Amino acid sequence: MGERLTKAYKVIGDTIVINRELTELDYFLRDFLKVLIKYSDYLVVSGFVSISTGRTRGTEDIDVLSPLINKELFSKFFNDMEKNNFWCYQGDSSDNVYSYLEELNSIRFAKKDQIFPNIEFIPINEKRKVKFFEFSHPQKIKVKNFEFKIPPIEFEILYKEILLGSEKDKQDAMHLRTFFSEILKKERFKEFELIIKGELK
Amino acid sequence: MKEMDYVIFYAKEMNKHPEFFNSQKKLIESQIKSSISLFKLMFGKNFKLNARHYLNQRGLIKIGGINNE
Repeated sequence: MGERLTKAYKVIGDTIVINRELTELDYFLRDFLKVLIKYSDYLVVSGFVSISTGRTRGTEDIDVLSPLINKELFSKFFNDMEKNNFWCYQGDSSDNVYSYLEELNSIRFAKKDQIFPNIEFIPINEKRKVKFFEFSHPQKIKVKNFEFKIPPIEFEILYKEILLGSEKDKQDAMHLRTFFSEILKKERFKEFELIIKGELK
Repeated sequence: MKEMDYVIFYAKEMNKHPEFFNSQKKLIESQIKSSISLFKLMFGKNFKLNARHYLNQRGLIKIGGINNE
């Protein structure tokens, strides 16, 4: 991608730079990712992608995809989360909580003495084809000095329109279609549509 | 104006006027602040225990089973 300037965002190299201040929601995600990246990789998906690019609506959680790691590594991550002032909805023992992940079920983390906002931590592996695809094709996005990874915008739009499909999801998708209209690419929509529709078969 | 028309209108305006992000920031932070106060008041000193009970009752988590969609 070349450099294009608009008032609300610009694309510099392969990074979308959003022209806004950090919010408490960004700080919350940043604190979480700071710990996570010591142990595994990630992709921030769904509602936060729309919200971080200006969609004005309430939110309770931030969805984060992360490849399934082994039990020992997860235990270190889990303990580090506690040291960093997070608690896990599903339990205080990393062994017990790991049983959720092994079944590819999500777990949730919030700051101590808080419920919202929370991170929905979604384990993935190659069996989850669509999620693994988006994870493998990250788009960098930056707000001030906070850089993180999201799916390609075209992918996020189609995922919300085709697979999720609630009114809220359609509105999120429309926000992205409108806000990023200058940089969206038709050929990427075609490519991603095939992958996403494959999930429906 | 339908809700979707509002979404389109707002996204276009947001693109032209990044200062709109400031009101979005206020909304987000006010929601977080209210939520923190409300649940601290609701769950008190045994926060985790009470919170898990509350979340379990509402089907948001299933302790001892697996249901977190």
